[in-house]
Amino acid sequence: MRRYLRSLPLLATAVASVVIAGCGGSSSSSSSSTSTGSTAAKNGGAVTVLEVGGGVLSLDPGYWYYQTDYTDLYQPTQRALYGFTPQAASPVPDLATSQPILSNGGKTLTFHIRPGVHYSAPLASRTVAAADIKYAMERCFAAGVGNGYAFSYFNRIVGAPSKPTTTVPSVSGITAPNASTLVITTTVPVGVLTVPNALALPCTVPIPQDYAAKYDTGAQSTYGMHQVFTGPYMISGAGTGTVPSSGYQTGKLLALVRNPSWVKSTDPIRPAHFDTITFKGGNDITVASQQILSGQSLMSGDFAAPPPAILKQGLTSSQKSQFQIAPSGGNRYIALNTTVKPLDNVNFRRAIAAVLNRNALRLTRGGPAIGTVATHFLPPQNPGFQQAGGTAGDPANDFYANPNGNVALAESYMKKAGYPTGQYTGPPLLTIADNEPPAANTAQAVQSQLGQIGIKLTFREVPHATMLSKYCEVPKAAVAICPTLGWGRDFFDSQSFITPLFYGPNIIPSGNSNMSQVNVPALNTQMQAAEQLTDATQRASAWANLDKEITSQVYVVTWLWDNEVGFHSTNVNGVQWPFNGNDWDLTASSLK
Amino acid sequence: MAKYIIRRLLWVIVLLFLVSLITFVIFYLLPSADPATLRAGRQPNPAVVAQIRHNLGLDKPWYTQYFNYMKALVLHFNFGYSYTNNVNVRTLIFDRLPATISLTVGAAILFLVLGIGVGTISAVRRRSKFDRAAMGTALVAISAPVYWLGLLALFVFAKDIGKVPIFPGASSYVPISQSPTKWFTSLLLPWIVLAASFAAIYARLLRANLIEVMSEDYIRTARAKGLSERRVIYHHGIRSAITPIVTAAGLDIGVLLGGAILTETVFNIPGIGRLAYDSILAGDLPMIQGTVLLGAFFIVIMNLVVDVAYAFIDPRVRYS
Repeated sequence: MRRYLRSLPLLATAVASVVIAGCGGSSSSSSSSTSTGSTAAKNGGAVTVLEVGGGVLSLDPGYWYYQTDYTDLYQPTQRALYGFTPQAASPVPDLATSQPILSNGGKTLTFHIRPGVHYSAPLASRTVAAADIKYAMERCFAAGVGNGYAFSYFNRIVGAPSKPTTTVPSVSGITAPNASTLVITTTVPVGVLTVPNALALPCTVPIPQDYAAKYDTGAQSTYGMHQVFTGPYMISGAGTGTVPSSGYQTGKLLALVRNPSWVKSTDPIRPAHFDTITFKGGNDITVASQQILSGQSLMSGDFAAPPPAILKQGLTSSQKSQFQIAPSGGNRYIALNTTVKPLDNVNFRRAIAAVLNRNALRLTRGGPAIGTVATHFLPPQNPGFQQAGGTAGDPANDFYANPNGNVALAESYMKKAGYPTGQYTGPPLLTIADNEPPAANTAQAVQSQLGQIGIKLTFREVPHATMLSKYCEVPKAAVAICPTLGWGRDFFDSQSFITPLFYGPNIIPSGNSNMSQVNVPALNTQMQAAEQLTDATQRASAWANLDKEITSQVYVVTWLWDNEVGFHSTNVNGVQWPFNGNDWDLTASSLK
Repeated sequence: MAKYIIRRLLWVIVLLFLVSLITFVIFYLLPSADPATLRAGRQPNPAVVAQIRHNLGLDKPWYTQYFNYMKALVLHFNFGYSYTNNVNVRTLIFDRLPATISLTVGAAILFLVLGIGVGTISAVRRRSKFDRAAMGTALVAISAPVYWLGLLALFVFAKDIGKVPIFPGASSYVPISQSPTKWFTSLLLPWIVLAASFAAIYARLLRANLIEVMSEDYIRTARAKGLSERRVIYHHGIRSAITPIVTAAGLDIGVLLGGAILTETVFNIPGIGRLAYDSILAGDLPMIQGTVLLGAFFIVIMNLVVDVAYAFIDPRVRYS
C-alpha cells in the first residue's frame, strides 16, 4: 500500500497520482536495454543522481516507506531481515539465514540471524544481534518514528499496540532468546509474514536499543541523524555518530560513501559497484533530463519520466539505449465515490468506464512508452495478474473492451441506470483533480470525455497534496470523482494493492485511501480470508478473484498500468529493481 | 530623519505581525494540505493521524497555535519545525538565504547598470539606431518568461547541455565561502537571465522619464546658464528622472530577496524561492510562515531604504 513519493513535474513528494510514473504497454517498452543493464558491471567510480524533488523526507529507517527512501537510502545503506535482488520476485534472506521456520500452525516464526554483520562507526566493533531487530520492529509502533505500515502488517503480532505509543513499546510477540535467534508470534497466520514480504520492509533494519534509545525519546525521534549503517554505503561523515551537513542537506544533497564495516561476503544481495553515490535535489525536470542524457555518470532520480518531448526524442534517437522502461507494478485510476448518487449505481459507473478513452488519457502523460492501457485493477508483475485476466482482461467486462472508449455502449449503460436518452440529466458531480501537468491534463481529458454522455462536473484543480489530504482522502468532503490517482505496491503481494483501497473497515475520517468508499461485507470477508492464506499460489488466486469482482463493479476506472522510465548517461549501466517499482537498484548499477 | 526611521521601523514590526496573522488565517481558511495525513503514510491508522496531529500541535484551535508560534518567534526567534521533515525552519532558511542574496545582489547590480545606462543613452539619442535597437530588445526581454529564458540560456550557453558552452550550467552553484571564483562563474548565467526583464523595464521607464524631464523649464535654464550638456543630463536630468526607478528597484529587490522561484528552479540554486514553493505544495505551514515573513521583511525594509534614499536623491523631499 505504499504510495510513491515521486515528484512529477512537480514535486511534491510525490505521490499517488504524482508519483506513479508513466505506464505503458510491454509492447511500448524500449527494446534496446533490459532491466538488468546491458554491459558488464565495473567496480568503482562515482555516480550522481539528479532529483527534482527534495529526495528523502527522513533519515530514519523506521520512517522509510516511499520509493525514493528505498532507492536513496534503504537498499544502499541498510540491511533488513529479508531483501530483494533485482531478479527476485520473492523475499531473499538478508540478515536472516533462511526463510522463516514456521510452527504452531504458521503462527510462530523463527529466524536465525546471519553472523558477522557489523555496524558502521561508532559501533564498528559490534555485530547485529536478534535483539536489535526486535527493538527496530517495536519502535515502528512509536509515534515519534512516524512509521506508515506497522499497524497494517504487524498488527497481528501478539502484544502489538493498537495505536501509536508515546514511547517505544515492548511487544511480547517479538522475542530474542539469544543473539542469533528471533521469534515472532502472531494471533493468526499472517500471509505477508510467513512469506516474509513485510519483513523485507525497513522496520526490520537492526537498531541497537542501548545506542538508539536516547534518540527515541520526545515527540520526534532523532535517531535518523545519528544512525549506524549495515549496508555497503553510509552517509558521508556519519561515522562520528552524527550526520554532518557535508553528507546530508535537506532537499539539496545526500552523499553516500562506502561503509568500511560492510563485508561483501556476508551480503547476498548487494554487489555495491560504485564508490560514491551523490543525490542532488531541487533540479528542474527539463534541465536535469538533458543533463543526464548528454552528460556522464548521471542517473535519473525521483521523477517518473522525462518530459514527454524529451522522452519522445530520446526514444527515437541514438539516446534510446540510455532509457530503461519496465512495468512499475503500479497503476493509475479514477475513483468513483459509491456513496454519492448516481455513482452508487453500478450501471452508471460502467457507463463512465465505457465512455472513457483510455488511450487518450495515456497520451496526456506521454503515450505508450509510459504504460499499458489497463483492463483491470491489478497491474502486471503482481501475483494474481494473469488469473485476473492478464493483459486482455476479462471479456465479460465489455465496458473495458475498447481502449478508445465506446459512446454507444456507455449510453446503453446510462439507459440501464435510469437515463432514458442515454445522457445524464442530473446535477454536476464534484470532481477534484491535480493542478499540475501531466495529471491536470489527464483530468481535463476525463472532464471532456464524460461530457459525451452528458455528465457535467463541478471541476476543481488543486495542488496534489491538497487534493488528497483535504478532499479525496476525506469522506466528509463527498467528492464524487477523483480522476488523478495512482497506487503502488509494497511488495510482490496483491494484499498491498487491494485491501487499502477496497476494504470497508479501512474507511477513516481523514487519510482514507478507500476513496470509492467501498464497504461490501462479502468483499470484506474475502479480503480477511485472503490475508490469512500462507500459500503464495492460493493467495494469488484469492486476490485475483477480488480483482475480478472489483473490476466488474467499477468501483474505480483503472486506465493505466504504469511503466518506470529510468534513464542514465551513456557510461552508466543502470539496473532496475522490480521490488521498488523498477526504480534503480543503486547497489547493482555500475559504470561501464 | 532619525525619528522618521524609528517610526517606520516600528511600523515594520506591526506589518510583520499582520502578515504572519494573515498567512496563518489563510492557511486555515483556504484549502491546503493536511500535514498530519500527509505524514501518516498510506492507509494510516486513525490513531496515527491523531497522534501526529497532536505532536504537531494541530489539534489545538488555530488562535492557540498562532499564539504559540508567535511566542516562540518573539521570545526565542524560533520559527518552529517543518511539518514535512521536522527540520528547524530557521536553520533551513538561513542555510538557503545566502544563495538568494547572491542571486539577487548580482542581478540587481546588472539590471540597474544596464537599465540606467541603456535608458539614459536611449533618451539622449532618441530615435537613433541605438535607441530603436535597445528598445526593441527591451520589449523582447520584457515579453520573455523568465522560465523560458532560463531554459533557452542553458540550452545555448551551459557547459553541460549548451550548443555554445561558455557558462557553468544548472546545479553548478557553489557558496562564496567555498570558492569565490566558482561562485561568481556559476551565477553569471542566472544573473543575466534574472536581470534581463528588469533591465528592460527600467531602461524603458528611465527613457520615458528622462525625455519628459529634459523638456522641463529648469533644464532649459540650466542650459541657458552655460552648463555642459553632460552636467545638465547627469546632475539635473537623471537625478529627477530616476526617482521612479529607485522606487521600483527597491520593491523589486525586496521581492527577489524573498525568493526568485523560477530562476532558482531552472538553475537549481538552493534559495528561498524554491523552498517557499515546495512548502506551499506540501502544506508545510511553519516553512510557509518563515519564508513569507522573510519576504515581507525584505519588502518593508527595502521600502524604508527607498524612502530614505529619496531624501538624498531629490532635494524637494525632506522628512521631519
